Formats: sequence, C-alpha cells, structure tokens
Amino acid sequence: MTDAVHEVPGRASTHPRLTGTVRHVLLIAISFVMIYPILWMLSGSLRPADELFGGDAGLMPSQVTLQAYSDGWFGLQVTFGRFFANSLIIAVLATVGNVLAASLVAFAFARLKFSGQKFWFALMLGTLMLPYHVTLIPQYVMFRSLGWVNTWWPLILPKYFAVDAFFIFLMVQFFRGIPRELDDAARMDGCSPWRIYRKIILPLSMPVLATAAIFSFIWTWEDFFGPLIYISEMSQYTVQLGLRSFIDSSGTSSWNELFAMSLLSLVPIFLIFLFFQRLLIEGIATTGMKR
Amino acid sequence: MATTIQLNKIEKRYEAHIVIPGIDLEIKPGAFTVFVGPSGCGKSTLLRMIAGLESISGGELMIDGVRVNDVAAAKRGIAMVFQSYALYPHMSVYKNLAFGLETAGYKRDEIDRRVRAAAETLQIKDYLPRKPKALSGGQRQRVAIGRSIVRDPKIFLFDEPLSNLDAELRVQMRVEITKLHERLGNTMIYVTHDQVEAMTMADQIVVLRAGQVMQAGSPLELYNAPVDQFVAGFIGSPKMNFVPVQIADATGVLLDGQRIETGQVLEGPVGTPLTMGIRPEHISVSDGTGQAIGEARVELVEHLGVSTVLHARLAVGAETLIVVLPGQQPCRSGDVVSLRTDPGLCHLFAADGRALRN
Ligand SMILES: Nc1ncnc2c1ncn2[C@@H]1O[C@H](COP(=O)(O)OP(=O)(O)OP(=O)(O)O)[C@@H](O)[C@H]1O
Ligand SMILES: [Mg+2]
Repeated sequence: MTDAVHEVPGRASTHPRLTGTVRHVLLIAISFVMIYPILWMLSGSLRPADELFGGDAGLMPSQVTLQAYSDGWFGLQVTFGRFFANSLIIAVLATVGNVLAASLVAFAFARLKFSGQKFWFALMLGTLMLPYHVTLIPQYVMFRSLGWVNTWWPLILPKYFAVDAFFIFLMVQFFRGIPRELDDAARMDGCSPWRIYRKIILPLSMPVLATAAIFSFIWTWEDFFGPLIYISEMSQYTVQLGLRSFIDSSGTSSWNELFAMSLLSLVPIFLIFLFFQRLLIEGIATTGMKR
Repeated sequence: MATTIQLNKIEKRYEAHIVIPGIDLEIKPGAFTVFVGPSGCGKSTLLRMIAGLESISGGELMIDGVRVNDVAAAKRGIAMVFQSYALYPHMSVYKNLAFGLETAGYKRDEIDRRVRAAAETLQIKDYLPRKPKALSGGQRQRVAIGRSIVRDPKIFLFDEPLSNLDAELRVQMRVEITKLHERLGNTMIYVTHDQVEAMTMADQIVVLRAGQVMQAGSPLELYNAPVDQFVAGFIGSPKMNFVPVQIADATGVLLDGQRIETGQVLEGPVGTPLTMGIRPEHISVSDGTGQAIGEARVELVEHLGVSTVLHARLAVGAETLIVVLPGQQPCRSGDVVSLRTDPGLCHLFAADGRALRN
C-alpha cells in the first residue's frame, strides 16, 4: 500500500492524508450499509419480544435482555445445541468429501491421460448448468429405494462422489498452473500418480483447497432445501430446519428467538472463515523453478 | 560400472506430427555426450524418451543391452536435471534430496548418510534446512544436481541446466559438472544449444536438426571435419563464413573471378556452383601467407582484447566475411585489407550442403 502511494506522482502524493481519510469514510459508510441487517438482527434479538414490532425500529433497544437466547435454545422439544451438532457433523463430513473427491477428480483431469478425457470434462462442466431442483426428484426416488430417507446419507454421501463440478473446475484450473516439471521430477524419483497427488499436488494447492473447503462448508451449513426434503424427525434437524420451526410451529412466530438463533448460526461460518483464511495466501508452486 | 545406451531407430510422433523420424545412436559407457541443435529440433524430447518421461513411438532403446522401452522412468537407473530446476517448493533442501530415497523405501539413517554426502560434494550443507525459494539460482542448480546424485544412478541426464544462470556462474557450474563427471565416471547426456558448452564439456557431440542426427563425433572432429554445411555453421563461434564459388578446374575454384587452389580433387564440370566455408580464425590480413581471397573493406571492428573481430566486405562480389585476428590489431573501419587463408583449412560444400572431401 505504501509503495503504491509513493509511485503515484502529483495529486495523490500532495494530499495523501486527505485522500486516505475520504477513502476510509467512504468504506466505513458502505460497510455500515452492508452490516446494518446483522446489527438490526442483533438488536432485535436483544430487545423484549413485545418491542420488536412496536413502531420504534431504531437500532438501540430500550432494554437489553438475553431472554430470546435462552427461550430459543431450549424452546423446542430438542435443544438447539442438538441442531448445531447435527449441522456440524453434516457440514464437516460433506466438506471433507467434497475436497477429497473433487481434488482427486481434478487431478485425473489435469494430470492423467485417459480416453475420452475432453468429452468427460465437457460433460462434467455441463452438469454445472443443471439446476439443483431438476435432479432433486430422481435423486429422492433413488434414496428412498435405498431406504435412506430420514437419514443424513443423502446429504453427505454424494459429496464423496465429486458431485460438485464447480469445485472440480476450480481445482483443475489451479492444478494446471502447477509446473509439470515437478510431476516429471517426482516420476524420476519413483512416484506413482497417487503419490504425486498426495505429496506434490495437494501440498502445493492449499489456497484452492481452502477456498473449496470454505465454500463447501458454508453452502452445506446454509443448505435448507436438502435437509427439508430428506429429514423429517426433529432430533435429526439441522440448524436451518430448526430456525424454520420458530416461524410455523404454532402460528405465533417467535421472531426474536429466530433472530437470536439466526445470529448464533452465523458464528461457525465466521470461525471457518477465520481459520481457513490464512491458507488463502499466495501459492508457492513456482518458487522452486528458475526466474 | 558405466553404462551403454543404444538407440535403434527411435521415433517420436504426436498423433500425425512427426517430431523424431528415426535416430540411431550409440552412447559409450562413461562418455559425456552433448546433444546440440537449434531450438525445437527435439533435444528435450529425445532426452525425455531416454528418461522414460515420454513414450517411445517406434524403435528400441537399449540400456546395457536390455530393451527398456516399457520400463518405468524410476526403474531405468536414470536421474535427470531439468531445464527449470523443478525443486519441490514446499520441501526443504534436505527433503528435496531425500524424497526420491524415501519413495524408494530406504532406511532413515541410510537416507541421512546419502543426503549429507551429496550435500558435502556439492557444498550445499549450509542450505539443507532452507526452502528452495530462499536460494540463489546457482544454489538451486546445485540442489537439483544433488537430488540426482543421491540415488546413485547409472546415467545422468541434463536438460539445459545452465541456460538461466549468468555468464560467470555458467562457467563455474560447467567446470563443476565436468569435474563431477570425472569423479563419478557415469554415462551422462547433456542437452544445450550453447555450442561453447558443447565444445568444452563433451567427449561426444551429437548435432541434431529437425529430429535427425546430422553428425556425431568428438568436438574436434566436428570442428575440423563437419559432414555438411549445417554442422559447419553450427559448431564454432563466430560462425563459419560461407561464400559462393564455382569449380574452375580439377583442384581450384573461382571466388569472384579469382582462382583459389583448394588442395583437393574436385569432381564435376567447370562452373558447378559450390559453397566454400572459411572459419573466421583461419583468415589473415595483408602480410600473412597462404592463398589470397581478395581485397576487402573493413565495415566494423570489435576489439575483444584477446582478439580483434573484423566485419569486412569483399571489393568484388560484396560478400561480408567475419575475420578473427589474434591479439589487438590497429584496424579501423574504412580500412582496406587484403584477406588470405590457408586452403588446407577451407571446406567445400555441394549445392545440397554435403561436404566435399577427398
Ligand atoms: N506434446 C507435444 N505435442 C506436439 N508437438 C510437440 C509436443 N511436445 C513437443 N512437440 C514438438 O516437438 C518438437 C521438439 O521439441 P523439443 O522440446 O524436444 O525441442 P528442443 O530441441 O528441446 O528445443 P529447445 O532448445 O527450445 O528446448 C518441437 O517442434 C515441438 O513443437
Ligand atoms: Mg528443450
């Protein structure tokens, strides 16, 4: 950043303070607009239930109470902790599956030679255009005949078969950027393709693996439709299904409990992001080469 | 211990595209062989086929008399140093050296012993804990060589390993690789398009062009007796001068109307066009002895200290000849000099490029 300021001659360097301030004010203003719904949700979750729709929609509650949190957490016949545990298990298993399977398939497309490679790649990309909802019914029929309805298997197992073409595509592109001479060197060192994948490609692909892991986790965590279709027993519910229970359970929706639990449901996403973010550093794949 | 490599009609095709139409070559045990040739002539491809990284489309590759066409790269007893060192960026130097041994399942203390011995040989002991990105080009080069020697291979392959180093480091690494060869005595193949590297390092030079061997032989054989105009122009720096001549009589040719005695018996009718090749270092000016070529006007002088290079245009005929004179000469551009050469050192090429020889 400082370099950039020094490089730009003339105007920018005569008032670096001023432009900096203006830029920051602007950024803060935009961030505030972006974060406002979350702040409003936070304030909604902290105020007494009757105040929620009472004229004053400002941010500051007249009175702060954690009632909504305890009501929300313990209000249903299963505690929200159970939903969190369920969601966490599903999201973690799905993420692991997605990253493993997608990277294996991507490795095959990027590095191995097999007949019809281009055709299969095009076919795989074609599945990107299929909306979720088109495959939903045949999939449901299939899982029902396997007797897996009302279990987590339909939500987890497909991920181990590299169903997400988007991640495969992302990884193929990344793997192609890793110099092939590294593979050649590894082959001279006696590596099988499997060992090249594990010892060379995967360690050099942390940025793309982290990206895939983050998105995979967030999408699974936020998935509402899948669990809605397959899971009917409350003890199996995910967080998203749990949240819905606040709205239609008795006709009297408990909005501030919904807000409180919604806010909590965002916490794991923040944590995942914080944890994986440091892996999103610039790749090091070409640092052992000339140049 | 040293290994023979034999190429019998080796071919390489990419679908319909023929890169190497068929190469026969024998590489003697313990020899340092250099492949040279212009860019795209198939040097890397040939090397990669020997290494086992590229499939062989036709012919046979024999190592010590055993056909290895279908033997996996790692099982051929070959180590390769790549054009871009291709060190594993996420591993320390130690790990880079150890990786192949770990893959082969060596015991930990054996690995340690070998890695340290290699590091000792190449003077990279101090860098063992570092990652490749914290090394200079020359150090990376050493690590790349180290990675190849730890496995104690029968054959070493080098693909333009010095092409990105600066001039000083190139000379230094050149000497080190030559020393390494003398110490280990292994069969080595070295690819380069730098003919100085080829001349200084090789026991045998193989000149390739468009996937074919033009000539194979010792550096001086290629310098003194190139089989055709391509090899003649490729070996030697500055390049050999080529001037058009015609047969004048049984032993002489005409260069711009002037008869030059060639010292060899020429076949073919009088007036047949030939090309005469004269190396820049075989031309002298004015007071020298030998056969006169003609008057020439100096257009450019390059003072290199150890020698003086003239670019001189012949008064008749207008070909530009490059002349290398020993030492420091008081020539200036615009001077008119008379050029002479020793006819015994000149080369004659037929219209198809083939060298004429008695
Ligand atoms: N995968 C491929 N498909 C088609 N043609 C190829 C392929 N790989 C190489 N070639 C062709 O083979 C020829 C030889 O390539 P090669 O890399 O062996 O040249 P080289 O002599 O090593 O050149 P350089 O000195 O530039 O490294 C080139 O004409 C190249 O275009
Ligand atoms: Mg090459």
